[in-house]
Amino acid sequence: MPRGLIYGAVLLAALALIPLALIARARVTTSGVPRIQLIQDMGRQPKFKTQSANPMFADGRAMRPEVPGTVARGELHEDGAYWAGRTPDGWVMAFPVAVTDQLMRRGQERYDIFCAPCHGLAGYGDGPVAKRADALQEGTWTPPSSYHTDLVRQRPVGFIFNTISNGIRNMPAYGPQIPVADRWAIVAYVRALQRSQDARATNVPPELQRQLR
Amino acid sequence: MMRGEQVGSFVFPRWTNVLRPVLAVALVVVPAYVVVLLAYGASPRTTNVGYQPVQPVPYSHALHAGQLGIDCRYCHNTVEVAAHAALPPTQTCMNCHARIRTTSPKLLPVRESYATGLPIPWVRVHDLPDYVYFNHSAHVRRGVGCVECHGRVDTMEVVTQVHRLSMGWCLDCHRHPEPHLRPPDMVTKMDWVPPGDPETYGRQLRQANNINPSTQCWTCHR
Ligand code: HEC
Ligand code: HEC
Ligand code: HEC
Ligand code: HEC
Ligand code: HEC
Ligand code: HEC
Repeated sequence: MPRGLIYGAVLLAALALIPLALIARARVTTSGVPRIQLIQDMGRQPKFKTQSANPMFADGRAMRPEVPGTVARGELHEDGAYWAGRTPDGWVMAFPVAVTDQLMRRGQERYDIFCAPCHGLAGYGDGPVAKRADALQEGTWTPPSSYHTDLVRQRPVGFIFNTISNGIRNMPAYGPQIPVADRWAIVAYVRALQRSQDARATNVPPELQRQLR
Repeated sequence: MMRGEQVGSFVFPRWTNVLRPVLAVALVVVPAYVVVLLAYGASPRTTNVGYQPVQPVPYSHALHAGQLGIDCRYCHNTVEVAAHAALPPTQTCMNCHARIRTTSPKLLPVRESYATGLPIPWVRVHDLPDYVYFNHSAHVRRGVGCVECHGRVDTMEVVTQVHRLSMGWCLDCHRHPEPHLRPPDMVTKMDWVPPGDPETYGRQLRQANNINPSTQCWTCHR
């Protein structure tokens, strides 16, 4: 048997291992190249999905933002007490929604998501983001307020609602991120937090007060 | 041509006898090789897993969601109510970055986007073909955690696809969801572990919440 043929066969066998090695490598490493679809089918359709880019518009957004100065159907919010926390007479003092156990739990969950990073789980202004920002000492950060001061305790519920919707001084607005119903739930929970940190012996039902001592 | 000359009589050398068994082996090995190559190379585990595009801002989930402990829904706030999971608008980054790291060069594209109103061109990581209709709220509200489909995002510096996202992968779970279920209020807790055996705990949850993932074609294709 000629030598060349044997060498050729060995070489071929060795070359045949290269694709396998490349595949094995592709399986354990990450890649910045999108996957190659061997059969396209209709995987890429000329339609616009949520959050995709559309070259027709100058800003490239396929999802169109609201046109300023317009009101969508069903979006005319006339009930100022509910939608803005404010009536022509001033801030709303009593909740425009029923405060239930369910609302309170919803409020706790939403508070932990949206407010706790800065204000802390108990509302003392010691959330992880606030702590990190303090440690950076950049001079641009204002510490979040503690809820447990007389000033914030005496704020009307409508005012706190407005604080969430539009922000206050150095606090950003959370209206765009949180739906109105959830904002009221958060206000209820903030009130509960304030009560919890300002509890007095007289808040305890009389028949249980004796057990406190 | 002259008489008596031998015409076209070529005698194969003796060593060519070896080729016959070699050819027989090749007829088996070569197709097997091609099959293995295609099955292995074109499998979604090879083509889909590990996609990690470079993002326009070096945003780190390990820092924000891991160390700072910000809940996924702070930024992806539509997961519970919509089919898609919203990427945060620039305003959401500026909630904090208007006051934190205000001069960082890494955040330059964010500040530019905020000033011009143009969106940050984030690169999609997880992307199903357009003929598949996925729905986040259907999963998140029924107690399928982010971690089941996206992996430990809270430890990723750069988001990477860790699951196949192929039809077989969807169906594996739709046929047998028990080990992947958790109470719906735990969906964003990336390090949650079931109390006790995942299988029995999942079965209880499935019964309590009446979870029956569909495997009908029209669930995902319309
Ligand atoms: C990015 C960090 C941050 C987040 C998140 C945040 N806040 Fe604040 N908050 C602040 C800062 C900073 C202040 C103090 C503003 C100042 O004094 O300039 C503040 C002040 C407040 C005050 C006191 C305002 C007053 O004087 O009456 C209330 C009430 C409040 N926040 C409620 C909330 C609620 C409810 C949420 C969740 C929806 C929330 N905040 C989320 C940073 C934050
Ligand atoms: C501070 C805001 C923020 C928080 C909190 C956050 N994310 Fe993200 N997430 C982003 C941004 C911005 C992107 C787009 C850039 C990227 O892919 O890295 C993104 C991208 C993603 C993607 C990839 C999307 C795609 O293109 O396929 C996944 C998956 C994801 N996030 C999951 C999570 C999970 C799970 C959590 C909770 C542990 C979380 N995120 C918390 C801001 C956030
Ligand atoms: C709730 C507050 C908060 C939000 C919202 C937030 N970040 Fe951050 N981010 C931080 C903090 C705090 C740091 C600083 C951590 C450190 O350097 O110690 C940081 C650091 C960063 C850094 C690193 C900066 C540097 O110079 O090292 C980048 C990049 C970044 N964030 C991008 C983003 C993007 C993009 C978004 C919007 C999707 C975002 N962040 C939303 C709090 C936040
Ligand atoms: C059942 C699996 C599953 C679960 C659970 C899940 N995702 Fe996804 N996610 C996907 C798939 C599949 C895609 C790609 C969707 C597409 O291409 O249409 C995706 C896409 C995304 C995107 C990119 C934007 C989009 O909508 O395409 C983000 C951000 C995201 N997921 C975040 C999250 C977060 C945060 C959670 C947890 C609250 C979560 N996901 C839970 C499967 C899942
Ligand atoms: C980890 C488990 C898991 C994975 C992976 C998964 N699903 Fe699901 N899916 C579920 C569960 C659980 C439900 C809820 C069933 C119910 O509500 O009874 C569901 C429901 C759905 C629904 C809504 C069905 C309805 O009745 O409205 C759709 C659509 C869907 N899944 C599509 C997908 C697609 C597409 C994929 C793959 C990209 C996928 N799922 C991957 C567990 C999963
Ligand atoms: C749980 C969701 C789900 C269900 C149910 C489902 N599919 Fe799919 N299907 C997918 C996903 C996700 C893909 C995309 C796979 C990929 O990206 O490779 C897909 C892809 C496909 C493709 C294209 C395959 C290719 O690679 O070109 C066909 C054909 C298909 N499905 C047919 C069906 C039929 C028929 C049924 C009913 C028996 C069905 N599907 C049920 C999720 C589903």
